[in-house]
Amino acid sequence: MSDKVEAVKKLFTSQSSRVETNKGDTYYQELFDKCEARLNEMRSHQPANKLDFADLLEENGIDRREFMKWASATTAMLMLPPMFTPLVADAAVLMNRAPVIWLELQDCAGNSEALLRADGPKIDEIVLDIISLEFHETLQAASGHQAEKQLEEAMEHFKGKYLLFVEGAIPMAMDGQYGTIGAKGETFHDHLVRCAENAAAVVAVGSCATFGGIPAAAPNPTGAVGVMDVVKNKPLINIPACPANPANMVGVILHYVLTGQVPELDSLLRPKFAFGYRIHDNCERRAHFDAGEYVEEWGDIGAKNNFCLYKMGCKGPMTFNNCSIVRYNDGVNWPIGVGRGCIGCSEPDFWDKYAYERPMADAKIKAPTGGVEKTVDEFGLGMLTAVGIGIGIHAAASAIAGKRENSGESHE
Amino acid sequence: MKQGYTQVKRMTPIMRVMHWVNAICLVGAIATGLYIGHPYYQTFIADGAVDKYVMAWNRYGHFIIAIIFDVTSIVIAYLYFFSRFEKPYKKVIPNAKNIKEFKNVFINLITLNRKNELNSEHADSFNTVYFTIFHLLLIWMLLTGLQLYVHGLGSGTSSIGAWWPWMLHAVTDWTLYVTGGSKMDVRISHHLTMWFIICWVVFHIYYQVWRTIFWKEGDIGIVISGTKFVKDDSPKSE
Repeated sequence: MSDKVEAVKKLFTSQSSRVETNKGDTYYQELFDKCEARLNEMRSHQPANKLDFADLLEENGIDRREFMKWASATTAMLMLPPMFTPLVADAAVLMNRAPVIWLELQDCAGNSEALLRADGPKIDEIVLDIISLEFHETLQAASGHQAEKQLEEAMEHFKGKYLLFVEGAIPMAMDGQYGTIGAKGETFHDHLVRCAENAAAVVAVGSCATFGGIPAAAPNPTGAVGVMDVVKNKPLINIPACPANPANMVGVILHYVLTGQVPELDSLLRPKFAFGYRIHDNCERRAHFDAGEYVEEWGDIGAKNNFCLYKMGCKGPMTFNNCSIVRYNDGVNWPIGVGRGCIGCSEPDFWDKYAYERPMADAKIKAPTGGVEKTVDEFGLGMLTAVGIGIGIHAAASAIAGKRENSGESHE
Repeated sequence: MKQGYTQVKRMTPIMRVMHWVNAICLVGAIATGLYIGHPYYQTFIADGAVDKYVMAWNRYGHFIIAIIFDVTSIVIAYLYFFSRFEKPYKKVIPNAKNIKEFKNVFINLITLNRKNELNSEHADSFNTVYFTIFHLLLIWMLLTGLQLYVHGLGSGTSSIGAWWPWMLHAVTDWTLYVTGGSKMDVRISHHLTMWFIICWVVFHIYYQVWRTIFWKEGDIGIVISGTKFVKDDSPKSE
């Protein structure tokens, strides 16, 4: 009962998706002073690693001008006014003072891959390179007991200060035995709960960690759930998408380094600076959508002319994400830019409900019994046919009965 | 007038106008809605994108129809309780009288008019329940439709002010949770409900025609002239 009361309360107090892009000069001045004080304090801290941001930039052939361009773009992405640009640049340099513990659970390591972007890292990835990554199961050299010891030490040393990044879903079926880790065979669930206990904040990265993603797709044999179903009473930020965009990961960490707070979140705990608008709202092919110009099949004249991919199943109109603005791989391209539709990877249950690459009207839906899969229109036409047959029988029977009545054997 | 018949009033002018506005809107909403769900005709490829606005016009039409539906729904909801002619809510209260009337009409339908023990002078309980189902389906369409619509107002404001998206969120966000948690569930539900409404319409038209033919009281005329004829010797109980 109290659960239900809570659910109803949540329903009516949850924040709408309103994105406030201008909060007024006084607000920003106050925030600026706060951030400056925080950065000065952080500067006095000992860096957690020896990596120097300026050196790294130089090694990768990125000059100061390019870096400042990145800083102003990132400031805009975080929906802060231009006066914050120097602070964002400072925060990037101070990122090696932000301890991060990275857990990898039931997933494909795609978000780690996005984080590393090993082939030709751009500024976003370099920023992620210098964060003080204290523990990362996939990347570190240590293994077994050694790795566990490292985790223990990192958790002890940065108690209450580290950001816990989680990649991958948590299998809950069979007491979580579908996924265990370490020499002691700790289940993913216990591992996550233990690591989250002393974290400053938990960041769920990628669709698996946020909403269960592909492991949670029907029939979900492992009972996979997202981090927000397991970790309660902790500041939690969801950065969904498959993989999560490194620009948004940087945005969240930068925001944390800058202000010491989690950014403003929507009702699914996604930062509004990244998930406040639909892909559709800023899509470069939007004009073709409104004009009714669609790709009808792969490789047709429409596809060659960059027509809208709606009829090929693009889910941009139902997907909140900023990839149409920031794109991937330092703005090189993004799914719709390469001529294939959005699969809605940053929305809950995307694999079952978004990624079928057909318009929604042709989507397969499940019968309440679970088994039969039909499209909405097939189901609807079936229902209509049943009604038609029923009417046909009734009409024929009525006509016959009526005739009999006329031929003399009236019942009244 | 034919001997042995009395003319009775069944629908006020406002009810008839409402009926036809709804009927036309329904056809329009289905035609445009099916296009929005899956564009089923193509535009002339030789025209530049700037010269055509096909999806946008379809959506515009769909939204205007939705607003007309909003208005008629509010009027009908008002008349449902406060009409000076017939208050439909009185016919859906499951009291003994209404249940008996509902049964009588239903038995009349399934016995192919063999049994006819109903009073056809006024709206019966069966028809009022059926009418109510339609309006519940319509309200569901309005709520899910407005939920889908507010996704496009991510900025939190609109041409008529910030109150509009705020209100839509406050009034329709619960449909997300009820349908299964994601925006796609709302969309599927909106599309599926259209099929329920089409089935509703098909039976509605059939039943009105059937009654006209078998009751021989000119029921189909109600929605045009507002009146029908009742046999003077038909049962007048209730």
